[in-house]
Amino acid sequence: MLRSIVAITCFLVLGMQEGKSQPVYNISNGTIHFRSDAPLELITAASRELKGKVDISKKTFAFMVKILSFNGFNSPLQKEHFNENYMESGQYPTASFSGKIIEDIDLTHDGVYTVRAKGNLVIHGVSQERIIKCELDVKNSSIAISSNFTVLLADHNIAIPKIVHEKLASEIKVEVKASLELQ
Amino acid sequence: MRNHAIRFIVTIYCICIAHTIAAQSPGYKSFRIEKENRFVQINCLLKDYNGYLFVGTDDGIYTFDGDKFNRIPFEDNNKTDTVTALFRDGEGILWAGFLNGKIARLRHKSLQYFEPEEGHPQQKIAAFLNDGSHKTWFASNGEGLYYYANNRVNLINSDDGLSDDHVSCLQLSAKGDVLAGTDQGINICSIQQNKKLVRTIGPAQGLPDYIVTSIAAAGNDRYWVGTQEKGFCFYDHVSGKITIPAVSANWNYGQVNSILQDQQLVWIATQDSGLLRYSIATATIERVHLNVNDRHISCLLRDNQGNIWLRSENGLIRTSGDILRLMPLPGTPAFEHVHVLLSDNKGHTWFNNEQNELIKTIQVNDNITGRKIQLPGLTEKTDITSLYQDVNGNIWVGTMGRGIFLLSPESLAYRSFDEHPRFINASVLSINGSGRNVFVSCLEGSMEIQLPETSDIHQRYTYTDFDGKKIGTNYVYCIYKDSKGRTWFATDGKGLTLMQQSHYSYYTQPLLKDDRIYSITEDKQGNIWFSTANAGIYKYDGHTFFNYGTNEGLSDLNISVLRTDWLGHIVIVHKKGLDILDPVSGNITYITGNQGIAYINAEDLGAVSKDTAGNILVSTRNGVLTYTAPENVLEKPTALIESVQLFLADIDTATQHRFRSDENNFTFNFTGLYYTAPDQVYYKYKLEGLDSNWIITRDRSKTFPRLAPGKYVFRIQAALNKNFINASEALYAFEIKQSFYKTYWFIGGCILLAALLIYWYFKSREKELKRIERLRQEKIQFQFEVLRNQVNPHFLFNSFNTLISTIEDDPKNAAEYATQLSDFFRNVVNQRDKDIISLKDEINSLHTYFYLQQKRYGSNLKCEINISDVQQETYMIPPLTLQLLVENAVKHNAVSKETPLLISLFISDEKYLDISNNINPKINKAGGAGMGLQNIINRYRLLTDTPVKVYNDQEYFIVSLPLLR
Repeated sequence: MLRSIVAITCFLVLGMQEGKSQPVYNISNGTIHFRSDAPLELITAASRELKGKVDISKKTFAFMVKILSFNGFNSPLQKEHFNENYMESGQYPTASFSGKIIEDIDLTHDGVYTVRAKGNLVIHGVSQERIIKCELDVKNSSIAISSNFTVLLADHNIAIPKIVHEKLASEIKVEVKASLELQ
Repeated sequence: MRNHAIRFIVTIYCICIAHTIAAQSPGYKSFRIEKENRFVQINCLLKDYNGYLFVGTDDGIYTFDGDKFNRIPFEDNNKTDTVTALFRDGEGILWAGFLNGKIARLRHKSLQYFEPEEGHPQQKIAAFLNDGSHKTWFASNGEGLYYYANNRVNLINSDDGLSDDHVSCLQLSAKGDVLAGTDQGINICSIQQNKKLVRTIGPAQGLPDYIVTSIAAAGNDRYWVGTQEKGFCFYDHVSGKITIPAVSANWNYGQVNSILQDQQLVWIATQDSGLLRYSIATATIERVHLNVNDRHISCLLRDNQGNIWLRSENGLIRTSGDILRLMPLPGTPAFEHVHVLLSDNKGHTWFNNEQNELIKTIQVNDNITGRKIQLPGLTEKTDITSLYQDVNGNIWVGTMGRGIFLLSPESLAYRSFDEHPRFINASVLSINGSGRNVFVSCLEGSMEIQLPETSDIHQRYTYTDFDGKKIGTNYVYCIYKDSKGRTWFATDGKGLTLMQQSHYSYYTQPLLKDDRIYSITEDKQGNIWFSTANAGIYKYDGHTFFNYGTNEGLSDLNISVLRTDWLGHIVIVHKKGLDILDPVSGNITYITGNQGIAYINAEDLGAVSKDTAGNILVSTRNGVLTYTAPENVLEKPTALIESVQLFLADIDTATQHRFRSDENNFTFNFTGLYYTAPDQVYYKYKLEGLDSNWIITRDRSKTFPRLAPGKYVFRIQAALNKNFINASEALYAFEIKQSFYKTYWFIGGCILLAALLIYWYFKSREKELKRIERLRQEKIQFQFEVLRNQVNPHFLFNSFNTLISTIEDDPKNAAEYATQLSDFFRNVVNQRDKDIISLKDEINSLHTYFYLQQKRYGSNLKCEINISDVQQETYMIPPLTLQLLVENAVKHNAVSKETPLLISLFISDEKYLDISNNINPKINKAGGAGMGLQNIINRYRLLTDTPVKVYNDQEYFIVSLPLLR
């Protein structure tokens, strides 16, 4: 956990320092949206504070979001539970995904690409290696990313109390949309 | 006795005939897939668990049954993709990997794309593997190694320590590690506690080449590894040691595409040099000659019959592997002139040519040369009849008319065997032996020769004569000493003679069908087998002789030689091929023309040889054919039901077993997998529940239209040449349910219903009869009542009084009155028998009655009838009803000037006929006790459901009669 955060931070910092010569894109506008579709309750929440970078020459990337920035719960109490009981955002304030694009494609040209990103997904302090499929729309000096994937709570040691078992899905659907601009 | 004891010193003139083996491998057959007249390229092969072959091509997957290719459709019928890898996982699911990185699985007879959330690889899928722990691995040519577990696709690539992302082959080690061949050596991968462990074996560890192209199991966790340019090597996964065979040191066969170990042989498919055969025992390699066009070959696999399959740029290729090998003879003598054949203990093949010179072949790599040995006195006309190598290694040469020569195979020194003058120009029929005994059968007599301890041919040998008279003849084709020490003689015309401790037994006709015995052999169970001139072969188990002919599965009765191969099977040599009989199972397999062999020399008994390894050699038109019995093979076809169709639409045989009564048209498509000779497969089927007998066919499909409801089992057996002993069987059990109207519950229900109906009918009829009876009784009662009333003395008395007074006062009217009275009684009499009459008739008779009564009561009795003519015509009424009611009214009421009686009739609600009268009760009540009214009520009850209503409020008395129609 700590290591990956350090890595992301380093990446973010280095990316900034390397200046304009490097083809590094920053998220200018990113939303991450999740949906838990349990038999008794549908919970959705979203955050507009998705941060991240993509280096199209190295095909590396790093994304991060603060857990506290998620809004849109069914009630303020639910948000509190989300942060305190499940995500333990005090202890694990962020979720991140960083790694490398598998496909050997040239992202310096405009076009729509479906690529798979292989990296470590860190949620609730637990890192899982994942392959996540996403669509990149490269246009001029901006990239629009959209992706859908699922997260298993069990994969990240997020325990569901028995009492809310029917209210919380074990598989959370996540949708990410972000536009990136050349740094 | 010219050359009687002269010993020939080596005077050989030796000509070396260089000869390159160029013949096609026997059993070679190529199969092409063509679609719309276009050749479909094959990329990969798979042998299924039941032996079925799957072929991955540029146009999806085809199955191959030995005869035809059948394409497996994609779920989207128009779709096709280039298949580059095929795999059957532990759960029985067929996986296909494509050139574009996609993956599909076979579901319900069609290919469905595998679409995990993570997407599919973008690079060619090179291989699949299942590690036995529910992980399916797939190698990508460019992206690394994927594994699929718990619905998640994971990737191991160079970021995880994989030496290279170009993975071309996978192999599972005995420990469960995955060996992945890459362009940078072998990677040993495993997942332990969610951690990817990767270890690389490259040139630093002793691998001869960076690029690994194939890995094949060699047993005991050891593997053959094929490389791109440095041949192949041997990797021991236990010790980690890599051994490079000597033949790989100067490898010039190009890239190894595929490796397959089959017993003591390793087959190597190369990119440029065709198929190679590496012998582990001798560490030598040789090229297997396929078609000259088959250069780029790969995908080796062995089928259940031991054939080796591969793909080349020309399609799918079958070779007989090591089962059949063909060696052209130097000088290419016509095969019918090759009378003798011997494979010696050094692997040299000896034979005679047209000039009856003896030739010893010497093979160096792909070149075969022959050394001619000219034996004295032998010409074109003096045949060499037999060759035998004894335990000392010396070769015995039997001739026709020139006696026996003894020859040292290395030095080629020889001498005439002249231990007795009669040997010198003897005509030898056969030379045979067992251990230190050599048996020679000549027309001059047969003898047993004791071999000396040394291999020096020049010493004198001792011998014992057999008594020709005791054998029965001197014409003995074969003398055979069996494992029990018994000596058998195959004679021409005198049957089989057995010599056991100087005691002779004879087996001739009629015990045997033919007395000409050609060849004798013994199986591993100690049974004696012998062939006859034209009655097939016999097995003698010590008690009984069993004859095998064409009915028992032999393909020809003209058998020359029998030999027992190294597996203990009996090899039966005839002109058209070899029949191979397994004495234990009774299965017979065949090597025939479809294996590419033709014209076997089955005339000369000496033209069949058995080498030291137990392989059988025969002389054919294309050279010497060596048959090596394959181990671990299925000697019979595998019967399979390929599909079952209901009205020509496939059904799922795993789940569908019960059908409706109208689902009754079944087609069974079946096959007997036997890739060696699909044309020899016969089928025998039976539909239990319909057929009681088996039906033999060569068709591979059978339709049963309009099957009656019932339980059925379709059984199919497949066998070679109708030899159905121990044939493999496949079956499909199903049931056609009865039509609902034939089911027991339905029939039972119907019977019950019918019984109820009949019961109800009888019950109601009985009720009806009772009703009629009651009606009759009521009517009689009623008539009685009416008549009684009419003949009531009061009535008559009153009527007569009235009549008398009328006669006095008004004689005219008296006649009228008498007429009315008479009419009244006639009406009563006429109508009494009828059940109902019209209301009009009843009212008419009521008028008559009134006329009579009014004469008596005058205007004190009034009657109003408010019923229209139409109503009077429409409605019916039981006769005399109204009259009785009016009578009652008159009877029970006082009629006087002060209390007139008004009777009115009217119809109320179109339902009732009401008869009402005002009540002036008499002081002395009249008798009768209402019998009349009760009678009416009873009669009406029998005629209608609507009851008669009686209303009495002390002022009016109303009777409502239901109107009848």
